[in-house]
Amino acid sequence: MLHEAAHRTGALIRHNTLLMLREPGPLASRMILPLAFLILLHPLYEQAQGAGRGVAQAVLATLVTFSMLAMSIVGSSILTERIWHTWERVRATATHPVELLAGKALPVIVALLAQQAAVILLGVAALGLTVKSLPLLAVALLCWTLALTGMGAALALLVQSLSAMGACYDIGAMILSSLGGALVPLAAMPAWIRHAAPASPGYWAVFALQAALSGDAGRTMTASAVLLGFTLGACLVAAARATRGRARSAQL
Amino acid sequence: MLVAAGLVKRYGTTAALDGFNLDVGAGEIVGLIGHNGAGKTTFVEIVTGLVRPDSGLVRIGGVNALRDQRAARRMIGVAPQEQALYLSATARDNLRLFGALAGLRRSALTGAVDRVAAELQLTGVLGQRVGLLSGGQRRRTQAATALIGDPPLLLLDEPTAGADPETRGALLAAVRARAQAGAAVVYTTHYLPELADLGATLAVARAGRVIARGAQRSLISGLPGELRVRFDDAGRKAPPSTLPPALADRARNVDGELRIASTNPPADLAALLAAGCAPISVDVRQPDLDDLYRALAKEAAHAA
Repeated sequence: MLHEAAHRTGALIRHNTLLMLREPGPLASRMILPLAFLILLHPLYEQAQGAGRGVAQAVLATLVTFSMLAMSIVGSSILTERIWHTWERVRATATHPVELLAGKALPVIVALLAQQAAVILLGVAALGLTVKSLPLLAVALLCWTLALTGMGAALALLVQSLSAMGACYDIGAMILSSLGGALVPLAAMPAWIRHAAPASPGYWAVFALQAALSGDAGRTMTASAVLLGFTLGACLVAAARATRGRARSAQL
Repeated sequence: MLVAAGLVKRYGTTAALDGFNLDVGAGEIVGLIGHNGAGKTTFVEIVTGLVRPDSGLVRIGGVNALRDQRAARRMIGVAPQEQALYLSATARDNLRLFGALAGLRRSALTGAVDRVAAELQLTGVLGQRVGLLSGGQRRRTQAATALIGDPPLLLLDEPTAGADPETRGALLAAVRARAQAGAAVVYTTHYLPELADLGATLAVARAGRVIARGAQRSLISGLPGELRVRFDDAGRKAPPSTLPPALADRARNVDGELRIASTNPPADLAALLAAGCAPISVDVRQPDLDDLYRALAKEAAHAA
């Protein structure tokens, strides 16, 4: 049974990777835009915060903001399935909803990690970003990516149209990354935003990544655990919608 | 192969299914017919596990489909009414995915894709994106995703709706072949002649129940068709005095055409000619689905 599940999940991973590569536009833009943003705007951050902190802030701002925008990759792939009615078609096979979501999620996770790795690499290679612990950074990036994937999937199973999805991702990403202190440091924000910030997964992403860059294992693990909590919550919502038929195409 | 008993499904105050019963044996093709809203699609959704019934039983190959959905779904191939294909992928990609989800691997999967494509005349378009295929080619691709893996139970929900004759012919041939190989087939359609081509028995659905079940010939044989005649003074009524009383009782004039409800058109035509009527054209309309629905609705109303 387990190896049948693995076979089906493997087939779905291959298929979803193929679909992503057949329509590479969204992926390409979400890979190129953050690199352009970082190159153009890092001087502003360095001027405001000094060379070291400024580069780190610029990299985190780019990484967190644009990875949130990239959530729409998982979202649109799920919503497209609902629009094409293939969601129910695959559900009518022996595929478990967890296999279906895993088959969708893994190619997206790889794409999101690649995006974030590209930003970090540019920061290190071109801007002198210091990474004190690569393993901690990998943990933080992975937990953040899982949170993004879960949230993207949950939202795609809740919305009723591509335009609603686009609005949620674009507006939501900007709000969550701003609340998190990604674009502008929290210290420069009004008090009410500083109080509200911990409710944002973007806050914990910045927290985890800052801690990882400085080599602080305790803070990295704490923040990563919170991100996994967001992941779990989002996955439960996604699974509930997927298994109880409320994500059926007929609901669109 | 398929046993569905006492299925009930309500959406608010509307009963989509209200005691739906249907048994389909291995090698049997059942034409599930009924007006829109009769419960056909809800039935298919329950059998495939997409919707849970409020009560009732579904067994597929001896497996309780409501308790062990995945074991049941392994035995089903379904082509839903709405198109459900990955438009940005090729026909081959779609078939490979559904073949893999049906448990096929490697050379078995490749062979199955090639075989079902040949059967449904898709070999030449396997490498094309589904979004660029014609409507008929997409219909055949959709059916192919259900047939691949040779499932023991096929659920085909209006697979030829809007299809061209070439597509219809290929699909019907493939369905016949599967039934001959032992698959049980539930085939929903509004087009009775297809069911006659398939040699299917009928299950007539109405208001969430199966109200008639049996061979098409036996269900329809007792129903009157119509003898339609036009006279040499087309456009004016045929003189009623020339019609035998037995025919006049059953006759009505529609746009200058005399239509006589008839269970024996040759005899009625002979009676017409014997009465001295001289039609310039004669046509016989066989009883059809609408006649069956009307007759069954009348019976149900009388029973109520």
